[in-house]
Amino acid sequence: MEMEMRINEHPILGVIEKGRLVHFTLDGADMEGYEGEPIAAALRAAGVMTHRHTVKRGEPRGIFCAIGRCTDCVMVVNGKPNVRTCVTPLEEGMKVQTQYGKTAKEQTK
Amino acid sequence: MSIYLDRSRSIGEFVPEPDDGLIICRCEEITKGEIRQAVHEGMWTMTEVKRFLRAGMGLCQGQTCGRIVKGIIAKELGLEAAELPGNVDRAPARPIELTILGNEGEQ
Amino acid sequence: MKRYELLVVGAGPAGLSAAIEAARLGMKVAVFDENSRPGGQLFKQIHKFFGSKEHKAKIRGYRIGAELLSEAERLGVEVHLNAVVTGIFEFMEINVMENGELCHYKGNAVLVAAGARENMIPFEGWTLPGVIGAGAAQTMMNLHGVRPGQRVLMVGSGNVGLVVSYQLLQAGIQVAAIIDAAPQVGGYGVHASKVARTGVPFLLSHTIIKAEGTERVTGAVIAKVDEKFRPIAGTEQHFDVDTICMAVGLSPMSQLLAMAGCRMEERRGTVPVLNEYGETSVAGIFAAGDVAGIEEASSAMLTGRIAGTAIARKLGYLDEETFSGEYQALKEALSRLHEGMFSPENRGRRDLTETDEGIPLSQSLLKNGYIEKEELTRFPGVVKQKGIHPVIECTQNIPCNPCQDACKFGCIAVGSRITKLPEVAKDSRCTGCGMCVASCSGQAIFLVNEDYDETGASVTLPYEFFPYPKAGERGLALGRDGRPVCEAEVISVKSSPVMDQTALLTIRVPKEMAMTARFYRAKEG
Repeated sequence: MEMEMRINEHPILGVIEKGRLVHFTLDGADMEGYEGEPIAAALRAAGVMTHRHTVKRGEPRGIFCAIGRCTDCVMVVNGKPNVRTCVTPLEEGMKVQTQYGKTAKEQTK
Repeated sequence: MSIYLDRSRSIGEFVPEPDDGLIICRCEEITKGEIRQAVHEGMWTMTEVKRFLRAGMGLCQGQTCGRIVKGIIAKELGLEAAELPGNVDRAPARPIELTILGNEGEQ
Repeated sequence: MKRYELLVVGAGPAGLSAAIEAARLGMKVAVFDENSRPGGQLFKQIHKFFGSKEHKAKIRGYRIGAELLSEAERLGVEVHLNAVVTGIFEFMEINVMENGELCHYKGNAVLVAAGARENMIPFEGWTLPGVIGAGAAQTMMNLHGVRPGQRVLMVGSGNVGLVVSYQLLQAGIQVAAIIDAAPQVGGYGVHASKVARTGVPFLLSHTIIKAEGTERVTGAVIAKVDEKFRPIAGTEQHFDVDTICMAVGLSPMSQLLAMAGCRMEERRGTVPVLNEYGETSVAGIFAAGDVAGIEEASSAMLTGRIAGTAIARKLGYLDEETFSGEYQALKEALSRLHEGMFSPENRGRRDLTETDEGIPLSQSLLKNGYIEKEELTRFPGVVKQKGIHPVIECTQNIPCNPCQDACKFGCIAVGSRITKLPEVAKDSRCTGCGMCVASCSGQAIFLVNEDYDETGASVTLPYEFFPYPKAGERGLALGRDGRPVCEAEVISVKSSPVMDQTALLTIRVPKEMAMTARFYRAKEG
């Protein structure tokens, strides 16, 4: 059974406050998230697990430490590579791309 | 914890192990086997292994792999991890972009 | 160059507590934290803290964080967020990367309270998306309201592994099992029991072998280990999980101190050598909290206050006599936390067999995460009485006493030594108000009435999951090991603001199940 990835009401924390709904793109596809939350949170809520592919082996990586320390979740954001998506706040219109090695792959859309 | 190790001591030949393919330094994709082999090629400290293989020189600057690398080197040398010197800690403590480094704030 | 009297690195429990002490005495203080939110670990902790009133027992971590923050702000402490301290230099100067600039600050004293980071153990497939630190799971759930996955394998049974497993369950996520290479549970027995009673199995002496999957985690393989922690061939077990959480210890982030030339030592991580006031070998540089040695937030708040007070005295804001009195009081409060089975000097010991009172410890609790019914009656919190009365299944010496204060009728006694096991008075005048059930941070207190009616007994248990069951509904009662033991009918679900999100769930079970039924699950379908 597919589970909703966002926690709507938490037994201790109640309703977790979010900013306004904003739109962004992931590799050209339209996505939604809440302003101010880490880009990685919006991606995880949408079921995205892979943030980048490594330089040498092209292996998939995603969120690991979630506090900006391990750098596994980095992606190309608004053209800039190596952006730590777990500590970077989401903004309206952000262009997020899966990072391949050190750059974004050409969009095949 | 002395920085002086008796390098005349023999640590035996490199013996391949089944988990040599395990990635240890996630950022630079360096395996356990590479680290162990580096020790047998004469890299006996964290600093030497770092400069030889780049283990700990990637984006996270050794925050994830540091402790594990130290353990592997120590085991290969037959020492306790606490007996080996760690990497030297130098500023900046976190990765910093050159544009920021060169941008002195208003005083 | 901006000048302050005290510069604090880290706005967690130690840093904020120190800043508050210093600011209260009139010092100009600035605190720097690299995160976008202050409070360090506090805002991720949604459980009620242990200790006693002076240690903020019974209060949820995130509320303590909010209290500290507002107190600091009220006292004029400047808290800089998204501010990364990149180095400590000569003459108490620090460099801070904030707002895209490199700023210089100078202080008369510097306190490093940078906390700790999670350890990792590598295993086949550990780089796959879906393998995350336990702290990462907490951050995602409790700060961002996002579930890290749907079904998790937890690696590590220390307090972090146990607490995060419970938090995963509260977020509606399944926990397939908790494994640990050690032969016994590393954290508090009560943290383990509250997870075990929901049905999560504990597999001690097991290690993670592999994370399966190509694009992401789709499963995990574990194996039993021998006394040298080597996997035993043929004992492999597979779990269908999409997330593997690593809770395998913490290491102090003491790089700034090493960089500043402080003398360091290896004591479960690289920590600064400190005098009793928290000062390092470099005059004017202090350290407090996890960066000086891994403990918990309660001790961090006290070591922070000790350092803050010592700094105030060093800079002339406190006379010797007043300082001496305050230091003694703080030191005693800290020593009260350093007692019991999980004290720093007992850390890692596997040879403890009895409580301080000479009662044999529950071996089942250590090996499986739950107490066996037969072991219960040894403990002073477990009594048999007519009518409703508390049953306290608290079986290890942990510094903690909210239960004593919770009961207005004198039913529960811990005494002045707060590691003592709580006792239920033989002639308790229990009215069934349930305050003790809600106040126990370990969720180890139940109200039992074996005389509820002709054939049934009632059991009141603490419940912190959504959705709350409804009065009148029928479901299953689970035993301490999480296995269904009998049918149960929900009598009531009560919650009141003073119980702070702990609901009291009262179920009716067959009389003979009164000392067996310890959790409730609605029937499927």
